[in-house]
Amino acid sequence: MTTTSTLAQTGNAQTEKERFAQQTSVSIEINADAAIVWTLLTQAQDIPRWNSTIVSLEGNIAVGDKIKLVSYLDPKRTFKIKVKEMEAEKHMLWGDNQGKRTFTLTPTEKGVTFSMVERMGGLMYPMYKKYLPDFDESFNKFAADLKKEAELIANAQ
Amino acid sequence: MTQDQFTTEFEAFRAQLKSYLLRITTSVPDTEDILQDTYIRASEKLSTFRGESSLKTWVFAIGSNLARDLLRAQKRWPENVTDICKEAALNNREFFQESMQIRATSQHGNFEIREHVAFCFTCVSKSLPLEQQLTLLLKEVYHFKVKEIAEIMEQTEAMVKYYLHTGRSKMIEIFDRRCSLINKEGICHQCTELNGIYNPKQDQQTELAKVQMARDAETGNKEHLFDLRMKILEELDPFSSGASELQLHHLEHNRQVMEKHLEKN
Repeated sequence: MTTTSTLAQTGNAQTEKERFAQQTSVSIEINADAAIVWTLLTQAQDIPRWNSTIVSLEGNIAVGDKIKLVSYLDPKRTFKIKVKEMEAEKHMLWGDNQGKRTFTLTPTEKGVTFSMVERMGGLMYPMYKKYLPDFDESFNKFAADLKKEAELIANAQ
Repeated sequence: MTQDQFTTEFEAFRAQLKSYLLRITTSVPDTEDILQDTYIRASEKLSTFRGESSLKTWVFAIGSNLARDLLRAQKRWPENVTDICKEAALNNREFFQESMQIRATSQHGNFEIREHVAFCFTCVSKSLPLEQQLTLLLKEVYHFKVKEIAEIMEQTEAMVKYYLHTGRSKMIEIFDRRCSLINKEGICHQCTELNGIYNPKQDQQTELAKVQMARDAETGNKEHLFDLRMKILEELDPFSSGASELQLHHLEHNRQVMEKHLEKN
């Protein structure tokens, strides 16, 4: 299984599949302050403005809270996801019954490396895996949109 | 710095501070209270002013803090505030009678489209989160630098840039969707409708041609059109312009309507 340290740094998402789980990951260098990237990731109401993968996002991104997310991957479905962990400007974990998504910011000389990993699985995974869409393109767009928006803000005068 | 020097410098930017406070609070009494409190607090703390920022930045920080203290507990306005207030005005004969009286008798009772554009922005920008609204005004209308705004808002420069970008993006999107001056499909025509009421003999097209933002609308350059909207605010003093009394009357009406609306919703 791919680990964060071996993720491509170019925004090229990868999905690896096992018998009872799959994991999609993407990582990208962003030349912007961690505070900007973190704020973009955690201001729920603002996310659909810059993130072309998300139709809508309701609720507050705060530990213990549930958010309702509609993705362009499956716009007829509303995902109810719990925000499980948050460490400002470093790490965030979302999860539901089927999986968990981890966001990580790692400081670099010019800003941060943003990594996003989604692991889905369980005993029922073999039953529903054929219905799962391809996540790679959506992950690539998410990372690219975040980089573009964060760098636009960071470079404003 | 002596008290006299402070008072002299304060007077130089007093009108700007006052208009800034009005655009945040939309209330003349609140504006005057905060302005006075800002002067008193700054005078009392003058010995702590080290000159690390300009006096103007330091005083705006005090005023902004006082305004935030007042507004923090208040709900923000919806972006369709002008629709809601128009509906209320149409059912309020007294409001129109007062308005027409001001129009007929006051030296500051003119109606000009560009003045209403500024008034409209003041109302709609209250749909932004408070930090975004303040940051946007400080940068786009009062031309503080990002570093100075960070001091005023007690935020990092990174966060100021975030507030600016998001605030500006939201306002551009809202006006692009709503304002018929810059978008033929825009759903709001209030400035031209009111011009027809207050200035029935004027030629609408001639009046619109006086507003550069309307003249440049066909360029479709949203950023440029927003900059022109901000320029209108920069150039107008809502307390002394030719339409100030009429627009302040409208503002007080909208503030009261919003207060009731937000209580119910």
